[in-house]
Amino acid sequence: MGAEQNTTPWTRRQFVGALGTATGAAIAGWPGALAAADKPVRRAGGRRMKVAILATEVRKYSHAQHFVDRFLEGYGWQGKHHRPPFDLAGLYVDQIPEGDLSRDRSRRHKTKIFPTVEETLTLGGSKLAVDGVLIIAEHGLYPRTEKGQTLYPRNDFFQRTVKVFESTGRTVPVFNDKHLSTDWNECVAMVEASRRLKFPFLAGSSLPVTWRIPSVEIPLGTPMEESVCICYGGIDSYDIHGLETAQCMSERRAGGELGVKSVRAIRGPEVWEQLGENANTRRLFLSALSRSFTCKGPSGYLCAPPDLDWLKREVKNPVAYYIEHLDGFKTTLFLLSGVVTDFTYAGLAKTGQVFSCQMYLPMPPAVTTLVNNIEQMLLENAAPYPVERTLLTSGMTLFAIESLYRGGKLIETPQLNVAYQAPERSTYWRA
Amino acid sequence: MRTLNKLAFLLEDFSSGSPAQHLVDRFLMGYARNGEFHKPSPREVSAYVMMTNEGGFDKRAEDFGLRIASTAEQAVDGADAVVVVSRKPGVMANDRLLRIALDRAQEGAACFVHGALSSSLALGREAGRVARSRKISLLAGSALNVTHRLPAVEVPAGTALSEALIVVQINPVAVSGQSIMGSGTLGGAELNALEGLLPIIERRAGGESGIRSVRWLEGDDVWRAGEKGLWSRPLLAAALSRSNSPLGDPVLDGRTQDIFGLGLVRKLARHPLAWQLTHHDGLKTTILVLDGVVNDFNFAVGAKDGRTFSAQLFRAPPPVEQHYSLLMATIEDFLRGGASPWRVERNLLIAGLLETFRTASARSGRALETPALGLAY
Repeated sequence: MGAEQNTTPWTRRQFVGALGTATGAAIAGWPGALAAADKPVRRAGGRRMKVAILATEVRKYSHAQHFVDRFLEGYGWQGKHHRPPFDLAGLYVDQIPEGDLSRDRSRRHKTKIFPTVEETLTLGGSKLAVDGVLIIAEHGLYPRTEKGQTLYPRNDFFQRTVKVFESTGRTVPVFNDKHLSTDWNECVAMVEASRRLKFPFLAGSSLPVTWRIPSVEIPLGTPMEESVCICYGGIDSYDIHGLETAQCMSERRAGGELGVKSVRAIRGPEVWEQLGENANTRRLFLSALSRSFTCKGPSGYLCAPPDLDWLKREVKNPVAYYIEHLDGFKTTLFLLSGVVTDFTYAGLAKTGQVFSCQMYLPMPPAVTTLVNNIEQMLLENAAPYPVERTLLTSGMTLFAIESLYRGGKLIETPQLNVAYQAPERSTYWRA
Repeated sequence: MRTLNKLAFLLEDFSSGSPAQHLVDRFLMGYARNGEFHKPSPREVSAYVMMTNEGGFDKRAEDFGLRIASTAEQAVDGADAVVVVSRKPGVMANDRLLRIALDRAQEGAACFVHGALSSSLALGREAGRVARSRKISLLAGSALNVTHRLPAVEVPAGTALSEALIVVQINPVAVSGQSIMGSGTLGGAELNALEGLLPIIERRAGGESGIRSVRWLEGDDVWRAGEKGLWSRPLLAAALSRSNSPLGDPVLDGRTQDIFGLGLVRKLARHPLAWQLTHHDGLKTTILVLDGVVNDFNFAVGAKDGRTFSAQLFRAPPPVEQHYSLLMATIEDFLRGGASPWRVERNLLIAGLLETFRTASARSGRALETPALGLAY
């Protein structure tokens, strides 16, 4: 049972061509980005395409609220207010917290909320009735594992979606917010299902597609040695954002991504000991930190460059993930809560050149680019970047958490031999 | 580039978060530059401050060897580089401090003024004359003209432009219903707008031609002018689409919102104000001061071939305000003998415009001819 090929009859070229208008933003090259098109794109059958969102909760600034509102209200894009050419036809909301906004959105936009995943995807009928599915299972009250993971129902939503696909004989593109699952086998099963049923599958964080300050891209095929990301937040939450920040750069190295050989994660003073022992990592660490907008200086001075002694005192509980890739490339993630509240990157090329930037994520309500990439997938019936990126970062995340749980033990990861090639086209926000 | 032997700061005030604090501290302690932390390391840094309530100012002498001078003359004597910083946001230049800098610095020194170069066009020209007579390189500016743009747009040199518009605020944070008329100036709003927009539009075909006339609009007159096409509503839509901080409903419940398309701009704006500039080559520039609509600075420029260039002028969050590091890099290179990153004529034009804006006759609501501002560069 394959994907129904007529679900997205308009290619992007047809779509843009049909609009026949200038985008209004004369920005040097972004060939894959959607034009700031406000005209409705209709299917061959004459109706607007429909999407469904499966959410854990919709409240102010929850992940689902960002996605729901961008489809309902639009967002600033390429110098215009862009309204996605889709109808948010069905919404499933797993939990109704205080401050729930799903009912307000349903009333104001006539978006129907269904009681089950299945009814959402079929819009209450017997057949799959939407042209794309978004799984936004972040935030809400869910059980936590003893390792510190939150058991969000991403895999559950996904598998129920797959069952609808299978039972109705039709598939549509699927997006999954953040990492795939807290269980590696479930992560693999999700990707395998998308391959088996041949539907486009996009996943991950908004960090790889947000602004970069400065606007830096690693040329595809650059021989690279190491990537460092500095960010903040807790494990199983912001770590995946940091790993995606690094991986969207690392995957562009010569030879492409081959997979991960081992993962080790530590917390506490040993982080600084390790940093002291590795000159390259230390160089990248300082380079990434120099791109931060939020790192205050030592001794009470507001903008003095930080030094390691000060960081040791200031960061009460540093966490570091050390990832060794199969080709010898290294990725190091630092979670430095208390010192920074942004995501910065530095990568070392084999020539000695350092690429560094901040993956700048504007504060809510201004985060927009991930939805535009989802729109591309829905219109082109192809993911703009490989889901293998997020399969691998999901694995890095859950094995790093396992390593922390085991007291910093190095974990060999033969199952993370996830090889893939980065797309030639850059997908970060620059137009 | 040359090593700085003596760098002198002449400061109107010094307080936490002020431009003076950002610049002095970066010279003393270092700053982020091109992906690493860089320390300028002048051999000596002296400073004269007219007013400070910052207890830490003296501490900088202990921690970083800052030499605090009791007079401006003492601070500048023998300096091969001088930075003059007036009170935040730099719209009211301190001509006296600049004159001391130009009179007392070493011949061949470099002098950078944060914000407006001078309080009037005549004084700016006089400063330029003195600087030239003593072979002192002179420049002024603020972080807005060197900060990151989101996206990193640049108008290609020589592009024929038809209209430009920038949205700024008097006070991006505070909510105030009080009339600001009679204050003599809109504070930093005009300076920010000119510093942000002139570097973009001066790249147009023929370069900057100078300002033929200015017109002040206030309240509903701002919207009526837009309806009549005296400023471009599509450019306002384009500029606002670049904002990361729409106010109103988005603040209440996080929604994204087409505040222009839904007609909310007029409802959200508290006491809208505008300056319309007509350039000698016909270019129309509109400065829209819209407190209550968005909290960031965004511009849009229309080209005669139909293209639109739009972006946000990015201001990094306090307390670090990393855009000062970009300005700092520009200042350091300039002081160390690098090429001037922009023409001082831009600074003269800004000084002349700010002077004009402060005059009562400029606020009549009618176009005021500005023959003195025919500064082409």
